[in-house]
Amino acid sequence: MSTTVFFLRKSVSAFLTVIAIITTVFFLVRITGDPFAELENDPRIAPETLRTLRSLYGMDRSVFEQYILYMYNIFTGEMGYSVKFSRPVFDVIMERLPYTVALLVPSITLSNYIAYTLGIEIGYRRGSRVDILTLALSNFLRATPYFWLAIVFLYLFSVQLGLFPLYGAISPGALFPSLGWFADYLWHYTLPFIVLVVRGVFTFVLYVRNSVIDILGEDFVAVARAKGLSERVIKSSYVARNAMLPMITVMGLRYAFIIDGAILTETVFSYPGTGRLVFEAIVNRDFWLLQGVVLILSISVVLANLIVDLLYALLDPRIRSSR
Amino acid sequence: MAIGSLPEVIRIIIGNRASLAGFLMLLAFVSMAILADLIAPYNPYERVSLPFQPPSGRHWLGTDDLGRDIFSQMIYSSRLSLIIGFISALVATVIGTMLGILSGYYGGKIDEILMRLTDLWLAFPNLLFAILLVVIFSPQTGNRVVPIIIAIALVSWPTASRLIRSAVISIKQSPYIEAARALGASDARIIFSHILPNTTSLIIIEVITIMGGAMLTEASLSFLGLGDPRAMSWGMMLHYALSRNAIYLGMWWWFLPPGLLISLSVLSIILISTGLEEYFNPRLRRRL
Repeated sequence: MSTTVFFLRKSVSAFLTVIAIITTVFFLVRITGDPFAELENDPRIAPETLRTLRSLYGMDRSVFEQYILYMYNIFTGEMGYSVKFSRPVFDVIMERLPYTVALLVPSITLSNYIAYTLGIEIGYRRGSRVDILTLALSNFLRATPYFWLAIVFLYLFSVQLGLFPLYGAISPGALFPSLGWFADYLWHYTLPFIVLVVRGVFTFVLYVRNSVIDILGEDFVAVARAKGLSERVIKSSYVARNAMLPMITVMGLRYAFIIDGAILTETVFSYPGTGRLVFEAIVNRDFWLLQGVVLILSISVVLANLIVDLLYALLDPRIRSSR
Repeated sequence: MAIGSLPEVIRIIIGNRASLAGFLMLLAFVSMAILADLIAPYNPYERVSLPFQPPSGRHWLGTDDLGRDIFSQMIYSSRLSLIIGFISALVATVIGTMLGILSGYYGGKIDEILMRLTDLWLAFPNLLFAILLVVIFSPQTGNRVVPIIIAIALVSWPTASRLIRSAVISIKQSPYIEAARALGASDARIIFSHILPNTTSLIIIEVITIMGGAMLTEASLSFLGLGDPRAMSWGMMLHYALSRNAIYLGMWWWFLPPGLLISLSVLSIILISTGLEEYFNPRLRRRL
């Protein structure tokens, strides 16, 4: 199978995944209840007003009709109005999305890089003190609620040491395009960033380590050693390169984990990102906002997965030819 | 690897150092939950002192914003955390086992559809999905425990289903299954008297493995404020600690202990399942 066909196949399945996710959310969220139910008991709101409100949001039609309309609207770039914010969903999301993206993309990249380098090192030095320490730490962190780790960091570094702010992404009053604003932003950014990196590193490092140990037992490594290649060459061109494959697979499976991490981090640090927004949307039964956030999040993560798949295919020719 | 039952799993747990340590830790937590009435000095839901008291001889971990004893809350919370974790893992394993057997035994179209469903399920953000399900299943007022159990079970079954499916595929090819079929045994009979008993140990391992993740999901959901307001769990305690500003006020005695207990209880479960996995998959043993 050529790379183009492989790419096409992957793109179609990515597209279908997005459709499946937004469809599931569309129907699930409509089982959670009626966003206007509370207004029914409000004496200040006339029944006609409520009826108008319902029809504005399309709630007077059948669920199936609503779904068709929803799909049509998405493809014409229309996401509807948020009930809670009384503003277009798109505007609400665009206000919050940069914070989440700026937090997640660098922290994921850095933690993958550290996990990969560290994993290769400790895989090589199996049983050493560094190895055992890393193993113990990552087992403990695997059992630790991630938000609690964030709380402990917040307590230690912000409350006790006073190094970082207590909450938020920027101090009130900071003017946007200035150096002061940027410094303030970075000051707020550091702690959530560190927590995300720590969590990411210790989640992935074991996968890399274990695959390095497997690779070191392979025949081709023994042959390379018998040929008299230096350990440095074996490490960089045999072990490191092969260890990249399982790492990429795990990363690809982990997109769910990223969104879940965003919801919890943003709650602990009162960060004004999309993770917190998604939670508020569910709890407030703000269907349109939730649909919008889920759409944006699933598209971005599925796109990221697609890139990962392509990288994988470039790195491992067997993938392209299989199936 | 497929033959086994509860006594055998217990024998394996005792024979492995990591598993034994985890088992003893878990036993301590279970005793804490059962004996909560005897251990806890106060009723965790009752106002017994002034609010926001620091630790003292009378209140080992101080009191919360309503003047309730935090140490007693911590002891009582073990009940809900463990029960929700265990029951939802059990339900998830039952769902996963049924689908895994259907998929592995019948193969073909059924298998393909079920595997696609499993993949889609795995692609979905767990916590986001669980939040949605809790909101769907929660009545306006009332019990939140059952909705949480349903939500966790519905997000955690795919791992069990995959594992059971591959075990069933290998068992299906055994000569004794062929013999049973030649004797005219029905599918139901083959599944219930030949395949299911041979996956028992695997099912027990799955319940244990899923329980760790289930407890963490429960903690996250409760922490976000979706827990039952009339009951206490460690996640709920952390929710109250955060929303009553315990972190900004530096009240470490309120938010450190519950988190630590979640970690230790989940760690005990991870230790047990590591030991079991090592036993059934010796290739892992040399890694440690």
